[in-house]
Amino acid sequence: MSDQAIALKREADPTRQTLSRQEIVLLALLICLLAVAWHLSPSFLSPSAQIELSTHIWGLAVIALPMTLVIMTAGIDLSVGSIMSLCGVVFGLAFQSKIPIGASAFLALLVGAAAGALNGVFVAYVRVHPLIVTLATLAAYQGVAVGISQARPFSGFPASFTALGQGSVFGFPVPGLIFLLALALTATLLVCTPLGLSLSAIGYNETAARYSGLAVSRIKLWLYTASGLAAGVAALLFCALRNTAKADIGTGMELQAITAVVLGGTSIFGGRGSLLGTVLGLLLVHEAREFVSWQFNRDELNLIVIGALLLLSVLSDGLFSARGRRSSQ
Amino acid sequence: MGKRPAWRREWSVTALLFATMAVVGAVNHAFLRPANLRDMLIDDVPTVIVACGMTLVIVTGEIDISVGSLMGLLATVLGELTSPSHAGLPVAAAIAAVLLLGAGVGLINGLLVTFARMPSIIVTLAMLTILQGIGLILMNGAWITDMPAGLRYFGVGRMFGVPISLWTAAAVVALFMLLASRTPLGRRIWAVGSNPEAARLAGLSARNMKLFAFIMTGLLTAVATIVSVPRLGVIEAGVGQGFELLVVTCVVVGGTSISGGRGTVLGSVLAALLLGAVGNMLIFLHLGLSATYWERAIQGVFILAAVLADHLARRRPRLQTRMQASREAQA
Repeated sequence: MSDQAIALKREADPTRQTLSRQEIVLLALLICLLAVAWHLSPSFLSPSAQIELSTHIWGLAVIALPMTLVIMTAGIDLSVGSIMSLCGVVFGLAFQSKIPIGASAFLALLVGAAAGALNGVFVAYVRVHPLIVTLATLAAYQGVAVGISQARPFSGFPASFTALGQGSVFGFPVPGLIFLLALALTATLLVCTPLGLSLSAIGYNETAARYSGLAVSRIKLWLYTASGLAAGVAALLFCALRNTAKADIGTGMELQAITAVVLGGTSIFGGRGSLLGTVLGLLLVHEAREFVSWQFNRDELNLIVIGALLLLSVLSDGLFSARGRRSSQ
Repeated sequence: MGKRPAWRREWSVTALLFATMAVVGAVNHAFLRPANLRDMLIDDVPTVIVACGMTLVIVTGEIDISVGSLMGLLATVLGELTSPSHAGLPVAAAIAAVLLLGAGVGLINGLLVTFARMPSIIVTLAMLTILQGIGLILMNGAWITDMPAGLRYFGVGRMFGVPISLWTAAAVVALFMLLASRTPLGRRIWAVGSNPEAARLAGLSARNMKLFAFIMTGLLTAVATIVSVPRLGVIEAGVGQGFELLVVTCVVVGGTSISGGRGTVLGSVLAALLLGAVGNMLIFLHLGLSATYWERAIQGVFILAAVLADHLARRRPRLQTRMQASREAQA
């Protein structure tokens, strides 16, 4: 028990100064990858190419932030991809029916937050297993997105909006700034408030967390709402980047986000998690994916590389970590 | 003792199935025509077959979300091995290869979960991505349209007037129901899921049970691919997409607990039939073409309602005992 408490303090403390083993492994993998990339095709690492390629990752990155916190509480949110599709469609429909672009965007974010909050109510207050809740809403939200849009695409958004996805400030893409803002906000919450420790406590032992007076249900409700909101932001970024909205823009997003989070060392059983790990996981997924596409011109290879990375990183974590060995017995 | 709630669930799923059919049948008699019922059953075959294996996996407390992309990969392999314009192997050899490949992927999943001690959701998530990638590379953006007649037989052929796929599904369901309720192996699988610690002390190997469940799921995915894919004359890259979520949903709606130990094969099968009927009903309700776009929404809301209703029904007594316990603790 005290063992666990120490582990809790050491591993979950978001203010800790040292890197965890998983983060070191990720950094090493990332450096190897970039070294190989530099050797094979130096132009891949040029700043202009990197900035150009980075447009692919920002939406996913925004979704992965709250996903990290959700998974830390031993939860999961499989519905983010569907919420993203739903928000995109709501935005497109609102814009088409002559609602001002700002109000349309606000409406889309509102729908995202509401969809997330609905997940949160079922998970936190009705207390259904999050895997089941979000599996059901994955189908439901996707279905509603297809239903209200009748599977039509929307496009023709004004330049003032597409600047959100395609513009840049001092050479840095606007979606990247939005992600950094979200990252800073999440990190501040984890470092300056007891939220990080609360999340770990809920993840390690929810009953104990409840009995020690943590507002477990309220925290969970906010987490799932944040997750839905992030999916809404990702939808707007996608619409602005591609200038189109359709009922399938978020398909598969949930699994990619979970991959990045788990790759980053957050335990799928809850308790142990790291925002820095998620950022590294995102970087590794992104660079591996883009480099394979860049070098071999085959998008399908990406999937194999990412799957293999996920297996390898978790395998190494399980084999070399004494804690993993003990907890699985 | 552990069987009673699941037994009740089978009744409620059956009742819902008949209610749905009665309502839709009242609006449109064509829904209940034998030809439509038969087509609906044939549509349900892959879900029913794989749900049998998935039930075992979930009962042992694990999950397998790789079955959808496994089915896509197996369909590609099956098509490329048999089609005269690709490998052109004999159908029997191709089928043996596909069965082996399916069981092999299940074995890898199982080994990673049991011996490398990785969480099954991560193992099968990684496998989902990897298999999808391999399938897409093998397919290379093309379609396979020249399946030999010997292979098409498994999709469209009949025996005693009943399609081969229905015979296969019936055999699989019967086999797994017997396995679950009448064999020591079945009892061990349920024991490992409901109380791992007690099962371990009783000398049961959770590893072997889980390994068996994963291999069976892979093998059944191969069986489902063989009897469902050749039904259409074309194999494309999208086969199996989203199938894993459908199968898991059926098992959960059918009363299997996601944390393991409780559930029945029959419940999963009935839930698969129910979800099939719900997905099919919109066409028959005379709501016009635009209504068919709502098919998935209705299915999703339906799943959510079913899971919630059941959860609430099961939760209440436990909540009371917990409140009682906390009151005693305070006193």
